[in-house]
Amino acid sequence: MQQHTHKAPLQLVNKDCSQTIPVKSKNVLHALTSAALVLPGLLIPSPAQTAPGDRINFQYGRYEEGARNLYGVPSKYNPISADVLHGSGIFSLTDRTKFSFGYTQDTWSGATPITTTPLATDGGNRPLTLNQVVVGASPLINSNVLLDRNLDPIGRDPLTKQSTGIVDPRSVHVMSSASPETRRQASFGLSHEWNEAAIHVSGGFSREKDYKSSFGNIGGRLDFNQKLTAVKFNGGYTSSDIGAILDHDSLPYITKTAYQDQIIRKGGAAGSDVLQGNRHDWVANLGVTQILSKNSLLDTSIGYTHSNGFMENPYKAMSVIFIDPGDFNNQQTGFINGQVRALIEQRPDIRNQVALNTKYIHHISPFNAALHLGYRLSIDDWGVNTHTFDASWVQPLGNNWTLTPRIRYYSQDTANFYSDYLFSRQAFSKPLVDAQGRQVFIDRNNPNVQYFSSDGFSFFDQNGNLVDDTIAQAARPQFVTYDAGLLPKNFSSDHRLAGFGALSGGFTLTKRLWKGVDLETGFEYYTRASSMQIGSGGSSFADFDYYVANAAIKLDMERIDTLGSPLALPHDKSHASKHAFHKTPPAGIMFGHMLDNKGDFMVGYRFMLNKTNGQMQQGTHAVIDQTIIDQGCSDTIPCRFTPTHMNMHMHMIDIMYAPTKWLNVMLMPTFMDMNMNLRNLFKLDGTVPATPPGSHSHSGIGGHETGAIGDTYLSALVKLFQIPGHRAHINIGFSAPTGRVDIEQRRAHRIDPGLIHFGMQLGSGTWDFMPSLTYTGEKKRLSWGAQIGGTKRMEEKNKSGYRLGDLFQASAWGGIDLAPWLTASARGIYTWQGAIQRDFDAPSSRIGPMDFPQNYGGQFWDIGFGLNATIPRGRFAGNRFGFEWIQPVSNDFNGFQLDRKGSLAATWSYQF
Amino acid sequence: MKTYLLPKLLLIAVCIGLMGCVNVSPWERGNLAKPSMEIDPNPLQSEFQSHNYSSREAAPSHKSSSGGGGCGCY
Repeated sequence: MQQHTHKAPLQLVNKDCSQTIPVKSKNVLHALTSAALVLPGLLIPSPAQTAPGDRINFQYGRYEEGARNLYGVPSKYNPISADVLHGSGIFSLTDRTKFSFGYTQDTWSGATPITTTPLATDGGNRPLTLNQVVVGASPLINSNVLLDRNLDPIGRDPLTKQSTGIVDPRSVHVMSSASPETRRQASFGLSHEWNEAAIHVSGGFSREKDYKSSFGNIGGRLDFNQKLTAVKFNGGYTSSDIGAILDHDSLPYITKTAYQDQIIRKGGAAGSDVLQGNRHDWVANLGVTQILSKNSLLDTSIGYTHSNGFMENPYKAMSVIFIDPGDFNNQQTGFINGQVRALIEQRPDIRNQVALNTKYIHHISPFNAALHLGYRLSIDDWGVNTHTFDASWVQPLGNNWTLTPRIRYYSQDTANFYSDYLFSRQAFSKPLVDAQGRQVFIDRNNPNVQYFSSDGFSFFDQNGNLVDDTIAQAARPQFVTYDAGLLPKNFSSDHRLAGFGALSGGFTLTKRLWKGVDLETGFEYYTRASSMQIGSGGSSFADFDYYVANAAIKLDMERIDTLGSPLALPHDKSHASKHAFHKTPPAGIMFGHMLDNKGDFMVGYRFMLNKTNGQMQQGTHAVIDQTIIDQGCSDTIPCRFTPTHMNMHMHMIDIMYAPTKWLNVMLMPTFMDMNMNLRNLFKLDGTVPATPPGSHSHSGIGGHETGAIGDTYLSALVKLFQIPGHRAHINIGFSAPTGRVDIEQRRAHRIDPGLIHFGMQLGSGTWDFMPSLTYTGEKKRLSWGAQIGGTKRMEEKNKSGYRLGDLFQASAWGGIDLAPWLTASARGIYTWQGAIQRDFDAPSSRIGPMDFPQNYGGQFWDIGFGLNATIPRGRFAGNRFGFEWIQPVSNDFNGFQLDRKGSLAATWSYQF
Repeated sequence: MKTYLLPKLLLIAVCIGLMGCVNVSPWERGNLAKPSMEIDPNPLQSEFQSHNYSSREAAPSHKSSSGGGGCGCY
């Protein structure tokens, strides 16, 4: 990788890197090397090796968990999975100053433990039966459990919930599920390198619906002892704001008394309760890297983390078994009833952690391999002490392949406030009794008025006067809930704070293609088990496993210019000069340009944003709610909801190669994410339409999100003609159905809403044919072009039973060069798209126009304004950027749809 | 735990002290400069792995120096 440019200590090369200087004697070499030490360029690397060259990386990864152990109760929720998209880059601003950026987006969904209870409760994962067959389970966090006099639970069959009569000490997770949620993180950094020192600053932010963080970091490195030793240091700070949207499904069942003054209402009556908090994390690290011999080095560091604030996971509850002291103290009682209630967990507000890292790296010369051995110890004031051992073997295989198998073992102790569940010898709630032993009542109509009664028949007011019967009828008993002072100050049943061990293993495989392009793939399997904890081992109910797989493409921009690529020009680093840059079409045009020469290779990134919001439209006009209610859905189902906004983001990687001059092949993986929210529709009289029984409801401020791999495009572009000033090609493209079309919403209001709206699914689900014909021309400062293209679905229906409409698009544009490197363009676009054919063949929400196939497609006239830039010379020569804003001019929608507000296309590409 | 920590720290301090004595000349560092000998030869992989570990384990974030947020609330 970058070491060839910065770290080639064996051979001395002259300035243009073209010729090796013969080494005549050790002294000469020594003198030269000493001289080189004071030259810029760092011929000798720092032992800490922290100066990668200019590069761009794209990575996609998938995390998938195995099912949790529910003791035979089938969960109908899929285990947790996450799709991760990452892009990052490093660019040299000067020889010694570098700018870096990173972007990560992850979307996760699936089943997650909300609390832990004894398996013996009458609730927990309550089996759902259909025709006397258990088809799944729904979470019931408030329940009862029968206990013997030692407070050991008396077992119940997990499926039938019938008592077994014998003690069953097992615990179980109560599983809840989550609709897809997306997190986005962006970071930026600047670093500067001296001969024997370096400094870097970085910062960034992470955003998700309920958790926002900002972070900053500063660090550096000092080399000394002839670069045998490097000292590294850094400090960082992260500030996080939590705004947990308390689930409208579990909200009534979770006890959140401890957080009453942190919970606010957002979005009015139909809105959500939001639990607010903030937290601060400070980090400091100090490390040493030491070269031990010509084949080994040691890297050690010590790190300290201080955190304070809200460190709870607001979605995790502790099950507390409340036992009435009357029952417990009555020796006649054989069995005691425990009332199980779920309380939001309470962690300490302060945490201090110290971590010690050691890594030893040894070069195994007979295999030309490297062995990496690591050990990490961390201790903290929550009692979670951890040990991590890992080993990997980096084995170059020849032909530019490298295989790195890796194994890791981790063990952690139990946090001192962790338990599966708690007992409290008090009633969860009991009638209030005053100092004289009288039961207290309150007025049903005025909660501030209290009455007192010793016998339940005669009531006295606060002044001791007897109240008459008519008033007394409004009295109802006043209850007091448990005394929080009798509970521990801190408690959590989050299994990540329990003691356990984990073993994982996997491999990384990299292949250097040509011209500085590397492909990398990694796989890891991870298994967690309480029995693997060092020193002890608890019950196995929380054991699970996961696997992760990822693939990345890495572009080494420096290598392209300086190493032996057949196209590199050693005496002319102006990359642009080797390509005759013809003009590229506006950024919104896909498959619109071809590579010129056999062997050319291009990598690009394309981002598209599509916004819809505002008023609902029918045909060419806006409509009122009543019309949507009456006509937007179906004859039998009135619409009850309508979208307020929907935004689609699409990330595409363009990989293009020219095997011959007249043929280019292209591969475009895509990654999509979308978000939308809905609102109630109101009838003319201001009321909302009635809810049909068993149908999905929608409330709260959260909205829906989806995101993962979209469809993948494969293309062949064939040149038709190319004469000076005029070019034309056809594109024979196909879209492979790699995007999911069976994403479901989570269970809400005790109803499974089924498949999420058509527009929120991530692909077409069918193999599609996508032909297009493109013509471009240019003369002096002017350029122009036209493209017609379409999408023809090649299957009758996808696996969810429907088929997206076919599409036809025609566009024509003209451009003018504002500067030799900058072109402005204007484009007219006509699009026709058919409605969706057929329908979901599985249950879907069917609550608004977006759930009905006739409300998709239409005819659209748009105008696009674009800018294309090609960096002509200098460090970034050859990079191309394009932007285009596409503004709707006229729409004729099929059925009822949200108004289109425009699209943005942004592209970057680099030709090798 | 604390009783074991001190000897470990001492041991590491002694090791570091001894290292000061070695001398590896610049022209003997060919193997050390190989990509496989980087402290983190696959940064994309380790970033990805450590994000998974930190959302499933209670140890301090492995990449605490690079910052970054996120709840990992699942």
